[in-house]
Formats: sequence, structure tokens, C-alpha cells
Amino acid sequence: MTTAIRFENVGKRFLVQHQRPFLAKELLRSVLQRPSKTNDFWALRGVSFAIEAGESVAILGANGSGKSTTLALVAQTTPPTEGTVTVTGRLGPLLELGAGFHPDLTGYENVYLNASLLGLTRRQVDGLLAKIIDYSGIGDFIDAPIQTYSTGMKARLGFAVIAHIDPDILLLDEVLSVGDGQFAHKCEATIHAFQKAGKTLCFVSHSPAQVLALCQRAIWLHQGKVQAIGKATEVCERYQRFLDGGAVA
Amino acid sequence: MKTFTDIVRHRFILENLVAKNLKALYRNMALGFFWSLLNPLVMAVVLTAVQLRFFGQKHDWPSLFLCALIPYNFFAYCLSGCAHSVVGNASLVTKVRFPRQILPVSVIVTNLVHFAIQSTLVVAAIVFFPPMHEAPGGGLVPTQILGWQLLWLPVIVLVNVGLVLGLGLLVAGANVVYRDVQYIVDSVMTVMFWLCPLVYDAGAVLGENATWGYWLYFSNPLSGLLDSYRRVLYHGTSPDLAALGLAAFVTVLFGIWGVRSFWKHEHRFADLI
Repeated sequence: MTTAIRFENVGKRFLVQHQRPFLAKELLRSVLQRPSKTNDFWALRGVSFAIEAGESVAILGANGSGKSTTLALVAQTTPPTEGTVTVTGRLGPLLELGAGFHPDLTGYENVYLNASLLGLTRRQVDGLLAKIIDYSGIGDFIDAPIQTYSTGMKARLGFAVIAHIDPDILLLDEVLSVGDGQFAHKCEATIHAFQKAGKTLCFVSHSPAQVLALCQRAIWLHQGKVQAIGKATEVCERYQRFLDGGAVA
Repeated sequence: MKTFTDIVRHRFILENLVAKNLKALYRNMALGFFWSLLNPLVMAVVLTAVQLRFFGQKHDWPSLFLCALIPYNFFAYCLSGCAHSVVGNASLVTKVRFPRQILPVSVIVTNLVHFAIQSTLVVAAIVFFPPMHEAPGGGLVPTQILGWQLLWLPVIVLVNVGLVLGLGLLVAGANVVYRDVQYIVDSVMTVMFWLCPLVYDAGAVLGENATWGYWLYFSNPLSGLLDSYRRVLYHGTSPDLAALGLAAFVTVLFGIWGVRSFWKHEHRFADLI
């Protein structure tokens, strides 16, 4: 079995600037030799784990625990400050459903834009277009500008694109909460089919219930460190106890 | 080099972004593509009225002005758009890994389309206000525009595109780090409007001889470019090769600076946005 995602002693540091730097001001500072005030903030520190190909793993944690930073590192939109991140296979990134859609373009045009950003060629999109539109259930609205869509419709179209780009690793960021019941059902069915096909799922959530529905393994992040890693049921239980007011350990 | 090979590999993204820019702009405008003609047209009409009425310019002034204004507009729109290009697509930059240089480049390609559309105004100006020059014996005679000197145009446009590529990458990256860059760009372009040969002819200001003032003036590559456009399209002569050569040289310097600066900041884009 190969490793899909490997974190080795990963740390990510952000410089917290109290004010956004301005060129005019920074030039003045460098002349006056007064460095601007910055604080370090480690969003993640010393994080190590491996996700094998074909596994479904949840990353669990409260707000500010480093979940989103972890996903950004997996999606490779940002490099780690220390340690190494290795990702093997084609990523299905976590475009927040509908992010990257332009309101003035039609659904049809947005599918092309979105799919190209996710790495598809024109020919691939041409071939998948009918399936994507059909899956989304948007119907004739596909030729209407996205700004006329409801939130649910945008989410459906966004998920329809991701569902059809056939990634090796699917990154999901609490997306299942959008869309109506019927579509949420369809999403779940797609994710299960995806799991059955032996693909890797990396799911970020703060809700133990969602995690248990989808994943066998879970990683609990707390204040930028791995608090627990193991079977989803056990990790979720500990996390739930923590949420209910218990101690971290 | 990787800056550009990556774009070729991901040209489908580029195509879609350019299509997005154009469609999003023109779909909301009743006049469609004619809209992009309106701004330079209004500018030309107002300034022509002022120039003819108060400064006693020749009646071919619209051609003199427009053959520099349209490239200037291209330049200004490109830099302003590039400065905003990465910051304005924060939701994409933080979520998907794709070559970020596609963002400023898509702005430039989009504006090349506007540039082509607006160029029809230059042609119209030359037809309706034919450029004139003083004959040796006195009096005004029409200038011969159709000639071999027009072959210089592709060269000039190429230098022009090279310049906006270098500067575009520079301001796109810098604006992520320092958000005031886009305001600085807009201010600088306002200064450039008067510093470069738009409402006046460079030759009339600098005289015939190459003095230190001449080199200082043309060390601004936009001056050299606008002067070259004007010589070819209005004066019907070859460009001033010293001025165009200097512009090309400065373009290369800005190109190297732009590419290096962009890559220096590129890995931090998602963190800083």
C-alpha cells in the first residue's frame, strides 16, 4: 500500500502583522531603520501522520486548531515552514463549493472555468459536460448567469464538477451541510462510491457525527498539535468528551 | 523561463480566465464592445476641443493624440488590472494550486483584445483627420502614412507587451505584500499621462539634438514606445531607434526584475492574502 499523504514533523508559522504593511511606510521604516512589529504564530508545529492510499481519514478539531492550515498544506497552496509534506496522486481540491464561480457567467461557462482550474483539459471537460450538468440537476438554468442561482444550486454545480474530475485524493471541507436533503444524499452516495473505488478521502470537520458517517480513521488537532490519532470511533469519543467540557487528555 | 512554459501547459486556464474577463465585462454593458471605445473617444473629443480652441493646434490633432492615447490606455489598464489580479482572486489562490502568473497574464491578454478594438479609433482618426506636415516651401501637406515604416508596428507592440509583462508581474506580486501598490500604480499612470508624449509631441519639446535631457526623457520606456507609435502612425517615419532601443533595454531590465520579484513572493501569496 502506498502513502497518499505524509506529514513529517510539519510546522507552519505565520507572521502576524498588527497592520497590513504599506510600501510607502515600509520604505520610510527602512530609511529610519525601524523594523515593523511582527509576532510569530505557529498554526501547526511538529505534526506527523501518514494517510495511506484508499483510506478515509477525518481531520477533527475546534476552530483555530490548524485544520484549515493542514488542508492548505495538503492542497499545496502554501509551503510548510519546517518539515516535509508529501502528496502522491492527483488532488481533488476543496474549492469551497461555488468559490471560483463568477456571478456574471452562466453555469455552463463556470463549469469550464472551474474544471480548468482543477486541472482538466478542454477535451476532458467537453466529454464530461453532459454528465456534470445532469448530475447537478440544474436543468435549463445552466445557461443562466450564476448570480440567479440559489446557494443550493451553486453548491450542487460545484460538487458536480468535483465529483467528475476523478481525483485520487478528495479533499472535503465540511461541504455536506449545504444543499437540500436529496442532494446531500446524492453527495454521500458519490463519496461512498469514491471510497469503494479505492480512492483516498481527507475530510475536515468539527462535527464527530459527520466524521463517523464517512471515515474509519481520525486525526484530532488541538492548538496546532496532534492530540489523538487512531480509529474514528475512539478519537471521536475523546473529542466529544473534550467538547462536553472535559480535559484535553 | 518556467514562468512562461507553465502558462503554455495550463493555457486552458488562461483561455477560460480571459473569456471570463471579457464576458463578465461586456455582458453587463448595453453597448457591448462599443463601450470600450467610449472612454478614449470622450477623452479625445474633450481634449481636441480644448487644444483647437485654446492652444491653436492643427486640425489633425486627434490623430496625433489617439495614436499615443490608445497604447497608453492599454498600458494603464494592464498595470492597474495586474496589480489587482492576484489579490482579487483570493478565493482561488488560497484553494487551488495553479500557476499564479496566469492571473496577471490573463489581464494582459484581455487588454490586448481591448487594445485591438480601440485601435480602430486610431484608424478612424487618421482617415477623418489626416496627419499633415509643413512642406519645405511653407503650407501644410498631407503626410504619407501607408509605407514600409508600418512594418515597425509589430516590433513596437512586442516591446510594449514585454514591458507590461515585466511590470505586470512586478506589481501583481508586490501588491500582495503591500496593498498600497495598486494606488501607487494609478497615481504614477496619471503622472505618466503628462510626462509621456500624449498631448504634445516629444520632438517639439526635446528639439533635434540628443542631449542629457533627451536620454533622461527616454529612459522612461513608455515615452520611447509612445513616441515610436506616433512616428510610425502620425509622422510616417521610422521610429527613433535610440529611443526605441533604450525602451527595449529598460523593458528587459524590468522583465528580469518583475519575474524575480514575482517568484520571490509567490510561495507566500496564499498566506498573505
